[in-house]
Amino acid sequence: MFRTTLAGLLAHRLRLVLTSLAIVLGVGFIAGTFVLTDTIDAGFSQSFAADADKVDVVVTPKDDTERDGNLPESALAAIRAVHGVKDAQPMVSGDAPLIGKDGKVVGDYPTAGVSIPASRIKITSGRAPSAAGEAVLDKNTAKTQGLAPGAAVTVLDRAGKRQEFRLVGIFDVGIDQNLAYRGAVAFTPDSARRVTGAKGFTEIDVVSSGPSPESLRTAVAAAVRDAKVVTGRERADEVAKRNHMDTSFIRLGLLLFGAVALLVAALVIYNTFNILVAQRMREMALLRCIGATKRQVFGSIVLESAVVGLLSSVLGLLTGLGLGAAAVAVLRAIGTDIPTGTVSLSPQTIAIGMCTGVVVTMAAALLPARQATRVPPVAALRTQVEEHAFRTGVVRVVIAALFVLAGAGLTAAGMLQKPGQAALLTVMAGGVLVFFAVLILGPVIVRPLSGLAGWVPARLFGVPGRLAVDNSRRNPKRAATTTVALTVGVTLMTFMAVLTSTVRTTVNGQLDQQFPADYILSAQTGTIPRSVADTLRASRDLAAVTEFRGKKAKVNGREFEVGTVTQSAIGTAIKPEASSGTMDGFGAGEVAVADYVAQDLGVKVGDTVTVTSGGRSTPLKVAAVLKADVSLLPPFTMAEQAFERHFGRVDDTQVLVDAADGVAPERARKVVDDATAAYPAVKVGSTTEIRGQFDEAIDSILMIVTGLLALAIVISLLGIANTLSLSVHERTRESALLRALGLTRPQLRGMLSVEALVLGLVGAIVGVVLGTVYGWAATATLTEKVAFQLPIGQILIFIAASGLAGVLAAVLPARRAARASVVGALAAS
Amino acid sequence: MTTTTQVRTAVVARGLTKVYGQGDAAVHALRGIDVGFAAEEFTAIMGPSGSGKSTLMHCLAGLDTVTDGQVSIGGVEITGLNDKQLTLLRRERVGFIFQAFNLLPTLTAEQNIRLPLEIAGRQADQALFDRVIETVGLRDRLRHRPSELSGGQQQRVAVARALISKPEVIFADEPTGNLDSRSGAEVLAFLRRSVRELGQTIVMVTHDPVAASYADRVVFLRDGLLVSEVQRPTPQAVLDTLMALEA
Repeated sequence: MFRTTLAGLLAHRLRLVLTSLAIVLGVGFIAGTFVLTDTIDAGFSQSFAADADKVDVVVTPKDDTERDGNLPESALAAIRAVHGVKDAQPMVSGDAPLIGKDGKVVGDYPTAGVSIPASRIKITSGRAPSAAGEAVLDKNTAKTQGLAPGAAVTVLDRAGKRQEFRLVGIFDVGIDQNLAYRGAVAFTPDSARRVTGAKGFTEIDVVSSGPSPESLRTAVAAAVRDAKVVTGRERADEVAKRNHMDTSFIRLGLLLFGAVALLVAALVIYNTFNILVAQRMREMALLRCIGATKRQVFGSIVLESAVVGLLSSVLGLLTGLGLGAAAVAVLRAIGTDIPTGTVSLSPQTIAIGMCTGVVVTMAAALLPARQATRVPPVAALRTQVEEHAFRTGVVRVVIAALFVLAGAGLTAAGMLQKPGQAALLTVMAGGVLVFFAVLILGPVIVRPLSGLAGWVPARLFGVPGRLAVDNSRRNPKRAATTTVALTVGVTLMTFMAVLTSTVRTTVNGQLDQQFPADYILSAQTGTIPRSVADTLRASRDLAAVTEFRGKKAKVNGREFEVGTVTQSAIGTAIKPEASSGTMDGFGAGEVAVADYVAQDLGVKVGDTVTVTSGGRSTPLKVAAVLKADVSLLPPFTMAEQAFERHFGRVDDTQVLVDAADGVAPERARKVVDDATAAYPAVKVGSTTEIRGQFDEAIDSILMIVTGLLALAIVISLLGIANTLSLSVHERTRESALLRALGLTRPQLRGMLSVEALVLGLVGAIVGVVLGTVYGWAATATLTEKVAFQLPIGQILIFIAASGLAGVLAAVLPARRAARASVVGALAAS
Repeated sequence: MTTTTQVRTAVVARGLTKVYGQGDAAVHALRGIDVGFAAEEFTAIMGPSGSGKSTLMHCLAGLDTVTDGQVSIGGVEITGLNDKQLTLLRRERVGFIFQAFNLLPTLTAEQNIRLPLEIAGRQADQALFDRVIETVGLRDRLRHRPSELSGGQQQRVAVARALISKPEVIFADEPTGNLDSRSGAEVLAFLRRSVRELGQTIVMVTHDPVAASYADRVVFLRDGLLVSEVQRPTPQAVLDTLMALEA
């Protein structure tokens, strides 16, 4: 039996190549994910280890101390006094907002101001800072700002004053993601502390003069209190582990997409094996005739799937290695600062890849294998394999109905729940059940759907078109499985498209409605002097200037941001939305609370909360609970006067500016820019810009997700190609007959293309409907007031692309069908 | 009644040669055949297995290319036409009846019958359609799909399909090969009637002497050569000729 199976496999090489390609891609993606994350992990570990070797003992503040709890300056002297310490270098870090060419601070976040021990800093050009007036800049910032050693750089110190330094070198931040993101200026320790105002050190690196790191660690630990003292190697392991958590997150996300791809691959394999079994009915029957038991027939199919699974998994692993290497290369090419080790397949990756590949393939082949055992020996003697007419079974409909009911019930329950994660998960669970119902009902719905999808092609392409539409639903089970594979990808894509476009319109709409403004002023560090708002208010080109202020304070014993907003703006320039109570007539003794905080503290409208700070207590009555999804207001908002009475004169954190009607944007912008020119830390953003950034962020998320889902689509296209080529094989006689009757080669090719088009469209239609319905259901669980937005353009693109992809999948099978000689095919009876 | 004094030839082959393969492996299926098939006549091609009768039919019908020689259908030389031209020629001038797998399983009997016309984009002549349907006796089976028809009925649908486009010639390849004798006799009777009543030209390949006896004329092939022919055959006359050939 074993030999028969292998011989059969070899005989159907080409067919199995298509099948295994599905698994190769799925396993390849998963293996590639591991290869990529392993490589990054390894790279980090290597560079940490390299760093660790330069330092014997690392002293850091205790993890549980508060944020500002740096190592005291006395610690440095204490450590230096420890016997066996050759050198101890402190590390300082804080903010040193770099001022760019436009006179404004650079970036969204303040540039970091640091001092890095000479032994650790990686200077790429120039030298490390050694005098008070010297600084070095990180590679990326230097590049974007066009600064080179010798240039002068200006940063803002803690007090907001300009400080000029001479750039003496460029350095590489290496693996520090925080510095890489913010950009960094490095100074001598003294300068760093002067500029950033940081007290104490964030780290002290100790180099041994002889003792082993372990014994030195014990000695140092005895010298400093309230500090964590570890050896360089321990520190490296720790950081590597923390970093590993980050890559685990990426890995998990990518694996989810890999799982989707494998699910689709499983559908494709299930379908292929089903068709193979149907085609080899006579072969099976012959085996039964000559004495093979049902068990042996079953075993032979399962064995076949195991061999296919094994081979494709091996290929998949190699593909994964290639994909991982390619991803690493791309990451490097686009300049991501990740250290990369050597690309390799770890034993774990190999084990996971092989297991998933083989298990998925074998599991998908189980049902077809069972089907094969049902072939009676007498079938070998029948001359013609009759086509199985599909009948809608009652059981099928009942089971599907149960799934639909359960799914719809869960979905409805989720939508009726309070918006939140639980509601979303309930809706998703409902979606999975409904998807199963679609899977079960597939053969039933594929007929009318192909009629619908084929309505235009059947009329457009004449006889071949009509025949193609008929053919597409000829074997409903096969058509259904083929299209469902495509449906999976299209559903998820549509789902994401609906979700993102709805979130976009909802957020934009609410921002517009509640906080209509043309410009938003914010301070990168510190606050905005009140004089800015006063200057702006004096301009006739501006209609409304709304100031936001805030301070940290204890409310009912817990620390929160308590703020206020220009009194006259409430209800006019800004219209915060209350879920209960109202801000109308907001007065001195009142407070508006953000909903999530209200829930946290268990306060509601009418309750009294007490704001405490600086030894002063103010009781306030809750006048409104505000929806906080899109709000510029702090957790607690007091009336302007009451705020001032409690906190004194506080500068603005944010200023909203609305241009007067009829004023040209350039003119309004100039007024705002002029008013803030003296304050480099104050950044001006126009709401259109901000919206553009928001849109861009959403678009890129959608693009990444769509790109990752494309793999599932590609695999399902392999399924379509597979199904078609098997159908072409089955219908060799028919095609020959049609050719004899006068169908031209292009017409025959066209016929198969139309069939594939119809299959693609059916898959897309089901996917688009499911995706839209569940996208809608999911958005309902996000917030209470959702502006549902159907991305019609994108959905049409999905449908058109699916149809087109189907046609593409038909190219090879169609060519084969058209190339076959009429006589040869006729003789093949 | 056809009382034409001058018989028109529907299909003519001159020096028809077909060689499969090359060099030592070459198989000479047809070795230079000259034959004509009169219009409105029912001709049978007979011969032992491997005599080349199917190859001859395929070459005559433009399904297969010839190695040498010429074939013309209705005065049009078909050797030298490209695939597209041959396809269009088949569409317009040739009808086919095969031994099996004659019908598309997805179409009803009526759709199968009209298929060649639809492929050609022509309208069926309703009078002719009715007449053909009456002739083959399928009026109450038009809405059935092939799987719901008996073998004999399926072949009758195939005959009707071949007739409906009024081709220059119908090629029938063992049309009764898969039928029981009664259904076979029925189908053959229809073929003969279509020649008599509709003036159709039919060329049939068969190895069954009884089937051949329905024809007006039988030509015999052996080893790729035309070796004999019988006019107005009887089963016995056909059998005798065959026996003589096999000897």
